[in-house]
Parts: sequence; C-alpha cells; structure tokens
Amino acid sequence: MNQRTIIVQRDVQADQKADAAVERQRLGNRGTLVVNLLSSPGAGKTTLLEATARHFAGRRSMAVLVGDLETDRDARRLAPLVPTAQLTTGGACHLELPLVQRGLKAIGDPAVDFLFIENVGNLVCPASHDLAEHLRVVLLSTTEGDDKPGKYPKMFRTSQAMLITKLDLLPHVPFSVEAVTEDALRIQPELEVLTNSALDGSGIANWCEFLEQQHQQRLAMYYEPTGNR
Amino acid sequence: MHERSLVQNLLRQVEQIVAAEGGGVVSEIRVQAGDLSGVEPLLFQMAFDDMVPAVFSADCQLTLEVVPVTAVCSECDHKFEIIDFQFRCPACQAGSVQVIQGDEVKLISVTLNSNHTREGVTS
Repeated sequence: MNQRTIIVQRDVQADQKADAAVERQRLGNRGTLVVNLLSSPGAGKTTLLEATARHFAGRRSMAVLVGDLETDRDARRLAPLVPTAQLTTGGACHLELPLVQRGLKAIGDPAVDFLFIENVGNLVCPASHDLAEHLRVVLLSTTEGDDKPGKYPKMFRTSQAMLITKLDLLPHVPFSVEAVTEDALRIQPELEVLTNSALDGSGIANWCEFLEQQHQQRLAMYYEPTGNR
Repeated sequence: MHERSLVQNLLRQVEQIVAAEGGGVVSEIRVQAGDLSGVEPLLFQMAFDDMVPAVFSADCQLTLEVVPVTAVCSECDHKFEIIDFQFRCPACQAGSVQVIQGDEVKLISVTLNSNHTREGVTS
C-alpha cells in the first residue's frame, strides 16, 4: 500500500470565481455595470428597482435578473418597466453564476448600462457567491432592526454600499441610522451608506446619482486609455 | 444552507486531483475555513458525510481546521488577526485592509492510498 499526501492550498470556489471574473470583464468591457442587490426578504429590493427604472426611464438603460425560491411575482412587477428574467432556484438559498448567465441569455443579453441582480432574500449564503458583479449593495430596512450588520458580518464586509430602506417608517420603529452605520463601518470601514424610502420616492435621485458615479468609476478600468470603448 | 454547494465544489476539485494523480483511494481531505468563509463547520461536515460516499468512499475523512480571520493593512502593511469583526488596522487606524485568511474554504491537501505508484509499479 502506497500512501501520499498531495498539497493543494486552493480555494474550493476558485473555478467559480475565475468564471465570474471572465463574465465581469465581458460585461464591463461593453459598459454594463453589474449590481448585486442583497437583503433579507421584504427589505424593498423590488420596490427600489421599480423606482430606479422609473427614474432612469429614457435616460439610462437597465435590465433585472430577479432570484426567488418560487413564483415569478417579482418579475411580473418589473417586466412592464424593464427587460426582466425571473431566476427560480427551486428552494436553493442563493444564486450562482450559471443561473445568472442563463437568465441573461433568456432576455437576449442586452447591452444595458445597468444589470441588476436581485438576489434571493437572505443575509447569509448569497454573501459567499460571486455573480460577476462590479458592485455589491446590501439593503437593510428600518423594520429589521439596527443590530443586523454585526450579526451578518460577511454580508456587510463583502458589500461596497449599504442602502437603508423604508426611512419613512423611522418615526414608528426603534431604529437608529447612526447606530447601524457605526456597526456596519466597524466591519467595512469603506462602506458607502445611503438612505431611501422608495414608496414616497425620497432618496431615489440620490441612489441613482450614486449608481451613475459607480458606473463611471468602476468601469473606467475597462475602457481604452484614449477613453474609447 | 449553502454548504452542500461548497462541498460539491470541493469534491469536484478532489476528483480532478485524483485523476491527475492517476487514481487511488482518497482517505483524507483537509480543509481550512475561517469566520468569514460563510460555512458553519458542523453543517459542512454533515453535507460532506452525506455527499462523499457517492463520489469517493464513506471511509474518506474530512479534517476541517478552523482558522482565524487575518488581514493586512493596505496603508502600513501591518498584519493582524481580526477580532470581533473589527476591520480597522490596530496600528494606524486605516480602514482599508485586505483579508488574507479566513474568508474562504480552502482545500489544503488530499491523501491518496493506492496499490500502485505513479509509474504503475506495485509497492
């Protein structure tokens, strides 16, 4: 009997991360900023995207891939506004890149300015899966409590922005924007913090302006030195 | 509960290694994971026990080592352990730090038993 140990030292997601890097570059090269939106169920991802689509209408193009365990309810809300594909995971707790690529193909792989991926509502598992996004945004609604960043550190650590939603409910709930910001910045000192309330529209213009800036900054590396794509 | 998905990736990688090594019986798979890897060790072990017989054998052991989350400061290069998810450099207070360990599930090594050496000579 011959026994030997082969030293590997490799991330078990190395292949998936490499695939995501290739897809990120492909989409970045043609000017599509991929935004992965993550939150608990009911934090307001779909409502935010409806408001974003209305704000950008006629000025910026966007498409949405929306992930859920079951039903196409979210896609039916968004489809009248923008190209949308529903990604149904059949019970799985997070999206993975092949599912995203299939959804993108289903809507004809449009060369939009923004491709939003509305992840499955879950503050845990989606944090560990690279979906080829250029920007990861975590949404946290005022009704969820301001103690969440510390409880779900990976989600906040791997995000570049936190959007506090349902700000209009602030007078009715025990939630401190200051406390949640402090907790989140402890985990991710470089996190951008934004607030909104999509139902009355406040904060939407600011959010869209942030997206425009991110589009410019994060895709700059893909452009030719002359500035031509 | 995405541990199954990660175990699936792990087993696929080990399969590739076994093929590259010319076959053999996998007796141990060593893995490292930290607090930012997104896995709960017990659930990972359970998913492994459930999935490994279909690929290798039920005798194949998983050794999962939990490692501390370690980061290096982008400003002053200070290397430090992340305690209580505080991601600010304790030396210079900079907020730009890179995690260098503990944010992934890492396949460390694979132990193979075989009746043949790589050259095909029985030992």
